[in-house]
Amino acid sequence: MAYTTFNRQINDQMKEPMFFGNPVNVSRYDQQKYGIFEKLIEKQLSFFWRPEEVDVSKDRIDYQNLPPHEKHIFISNLKYQTLLDSVQGRSPNVAFLPIVSLPELETWIETWAFSETIHSRSYTHIVRNISSEPHKVFDDIMLNEKILQRADDVTRYYDDLIDGINLYQRCGEGTHTINGQNHSISLYELKRRLYLCVMSVNVLEAIRFYVSFACSFAFAERELMEGNAKIIRLIARDEALHLTGTQHMLNIMAAGEDDADMANIAKECEEEAYAIFRKAAEQEKDWAEYLFKDGSMIGLNKDILCQYVEYITNSRMQAIGLKPIFSTTQNPIPWINTWLVSDNVQVAPQEAEISSYLVGQIDNEVDGADFGDFDL
Amino acid sequence: MYRVKVGNNTVVEFDDSAANLLQALERHQLQVNFQCREGYCGACRCKLNSGEIRYLHEPLAFVRQGEFLPCCSIPLTNIDIEIP
Repeated sequence: MAYTTFNRQINDQMKEPMFFGNPVNVSRYDQQKYGIFEKLIEKQLSFFWRPEEVDVSKDRIDYQNLPPHEKHIFISNLKYQTLLDSVQGRSPNVAFLPIVSLPELETWIETWAFSETIHSRSYTHIVRNISSEPHKVFDDIMLNEKILQRADDVTRYYDDLIDGINLYQRCGEGTHTINGQNHSISLYELKRRLYLCVMSVNVLEAIRFYVSFACSFAFAERELMEGNAKIIRLIARDEALHLTGTQHMLNIMAAGEDDADMANIAKECEEEAYAIFRKAAEQEKDWAEYLFKDGSMIGLNKDILCQYVEYITNSRMQAIGLKPIFSTTQNPIPWINTWLVSDNVQVAPQEAEISSYLVGQIDNEVDGADFGDFDL
Repeated sequence: MYRVKVGNNTVVEFDDSAANLLQALERHQLQVNFQCREGYCGACRCKLNSGEIRYLHEPLAFVRQGEFLPCCSIPLTNIDIEIP
């Protein structure tokens, strides 16, 4: 029950559930209960990039020439993304690592969160370049009401889970009096909090980032802020992978073979899952309104962006077996897909990087047919 | 060459000139959502009503029963699909 960094209990890791079994002891990858997490780790490692590899120097001139309402759009999105990645860079580790029971999933969580810290660092890289007073941009994140409104919903499910885990791992199930106050916790309640937390993370990565992405690419379509767009493409590539990770976790939970309680919880929480999606979509639409309060930008306005929010919300819901809640069926900005294709991402000018690129990678698969045109 | 029936009234012929099903659908001006084009994001998910497909490489994205990813697959038989 209490967490230990190296569990002495000899266990068969292949029989552990994803969460709330034995804490992981040996980090071994020779066997995996869920091979998908091992594959996600390898893919994420092959995606590794550093913000400094992307030249953003031309963006400085572009930014200075933007009209004030477009500066507002650009910088506000950057602030919001900074908030989201501040949360994502630490929270999966703090919330999930104390309760995870599979080595491949544990390492996936760490790899995932680490890549979010790269995103955070890239925002500093961008802001330093376009502003002579970067501290003002970052200081405002903690003061900006529109951003703080979102922070609450982004963090609430993480905080509830972390709070419950602390109590459970210290005192166990039951009602406990701490500093004169009563606190109750059960394992089932913790599992419920875990499910809702993963659901909320799924929404964060599936919907919340995409309003900013759309704006960044709309600038780049006009050949403005292209360094920024290059970075956003790398971030979007990572986020698509993280999203696949959380979708797998949710689907494994709902199937119930891993942990029978989780299947019940998934059913019980269905209405709440719909509510999380609906609220996030509404908040993102509000955000679109705030972005365009002083004027739209070429190629994008509040209505189009709201339709896009509805469109991706529907598609993300269907991916985890929920029914779409909006009537929008067409992507109102199909040009965004071209920006999101990972193989077009180029980091350094001399290196048109393909996403499966690995340093020193050797293709070991040899098929008999490969020798077909050999003559001796 | 295989016939790919899309919805009720479109038929796309798949031959060796297309690298995968997504490409074949796009050549017929059919709008399919896409993102990574290599099987890890799942954006291009379509319904497979009948027939069989083969993955060129195993996709990382979660694919439900009755669905498939056209970006990394080719048909093995005539197929009947739906684009969401």
